[in-house]
Amino acid sequence: MSNTQVGNVYSQIIADVVESSRVDFEEGGVEEQVLEELRQGWQQKLSQLQVANFPWDPKPEPQPIVNPPTVPSNAGNYQPMSAPVQGFAPPSAQNNVQHIKTEPGLESPTTQGSFQTPVLTNPNATTAQQRAAQHLQQNYGQRAAASINAIQGNQMTQMQQHSQAQTMSTQRPQMTPEQYRQAMAATMQQRLQNQSNNVGSAQTDGAGDDTMEAFGVVKRGDEPMGRVAIDGMIREKIAAMGRSMEGGGLMLPLKQATNPQSRRQKAARQNGAGNAQHDGVDSDEDDKDGVKDEDLDEDAINSDLDDPEDGLNDEEDDDEGMGHIMLCMYDKVQRVKNKWCCVMKDGVLTVNGKEYVFHKATGEYEW
Amino acid sequence: MATPGQSFYELYRRSSIGMALTDTLDDLISERRIEPQLAMKILANFDRSITEVLAEKVKARLTFKGHLDTYRFCDEVWTFLIKDVTFKMDNSTQTVQADKVKIVSCNSKRPGDPQ
Repeated sequence: MSNTQVGNVYSQIIADVVESSRVDFEEGGVEEQVLEELRQGWQQKLSQLQVANFPWDPKPEPQPIVNPPTVPSNAGNYQPMSAPVQGFAPPSAQNNVQHIKTEPGLESPTTQGSFQTPVLTNPNATTAQQRAAQHLQQNYGQRAAASINAIQGNQMTQMQQHSQAQTMSTQRPQMTPEQYRQAMAATMQQRLQNQSNNVGSAQTDGAGDDTMEAFGVVKRGDEPMGRVAIDGMIREKIAAMGRSMEGGGLMLPLKQATNPQSRRQKAARQNGAGNAQHDGVDSDEDDKDGVKDEDLDEDAINSDLDDPEDGLNDEEDDDEGMGHIMLCMYDKVQRVKNKWCCVMKDGVLTVNGKEYVFHKATGEYEW
Repeated sequence: MATPGQSFYELYRRSSIGMALTDTLDDLISERRIEPQLAMKILANFDRSITEVLAEKVKARLTFKGHLDTYRFCDEVWTFLIKDVTFKMDNSTQTVQADKVKIVSCNSKRPGDPQ
């Protein structure tokens, strides 16, 4: 068994298939040229997989095809320049580089550099980093200035737009002035409640709680509004419905009190108390936990088939990406207790990105 | 050897050469250069060809050892998932190791096949 044999074997297969398909092409009225294209495309695709060396591809050819995706040319040119300079170049060069680097401003010096350096520094990068850096600055200092301005301008406008969008989004709940006023009033009430309960008094995490509750109140106050799905609120609604159906908390969950979303629970508790729910406050805790755990697993149908503990099914997914797989025929499969002994033949083995063919294989393994 | 009515396993279509062929045929079909029926015939030719070439031209042998994780026998097909495998080539001291390998194996003696 060897990897070197694979090229010959595969080229034989290809030639054989092409020859025997010639008749089928003629019968189908398809030009022979297409058959030739099929052969070339087939060989090319096989070469790209790089599972072996094939007789039809000249040795160096697959490399340029496969390398660019793994190491983008921009990054490849940029890294050798910047890394050595930062690492052990004289201080003057470092100053230059830092100068260049800080100049482009807030966020995108690297991308800018990677766009322009390959053209400029290719000849110099290997010889002298210092000259390269100076060269860089000289050559595209002016150009950089323009693009820097452009970038900064863009960022300014983007920030403006962003802030506008934010203000818009904060005002978005207002559908009609009336509803907005109701919502605001409700929010104020909620805030007061929060502060009295010491829930939101810390305020270190911003206004998240308040807005969530505000949305919830808006939703509660006016049900058919149907705003963009705020999952927490919907779940609460479901939880409330479940509570009303369930009655006295008979359906307790297996594991209680491991609810990760204590914040939502707090909110729910508050709302529950405020809205005077159907079955009173006392059993709320248990019921809520139960319903929420079920809701979190909403997608699952709790079948044994959902069990992820099946190695073979796990494997199915990997096969798409050229996993480790042996395709063969078996002559003999024997088992004594947990010792297995198999004799395989005529197989193709793909492992570690290489392919092997074999006439016969014996395997021994214990379960 | 290949009598007209005889069918071959489609097992090897999952190998790299089979997938390369399938991809190429897919491309040709989506470009409307060939009909899907023709592609099926070519794949059938491939099934026959690879089976014959593997049987006749390949002489290499190998042995492998490992820990059997999962096994399955269904419709005359053995499927093994073996972990910590070591493959040893007979003609060299070279060994290849892998964390896991999946073996899909069809019966070499087809039912009703005189062999």
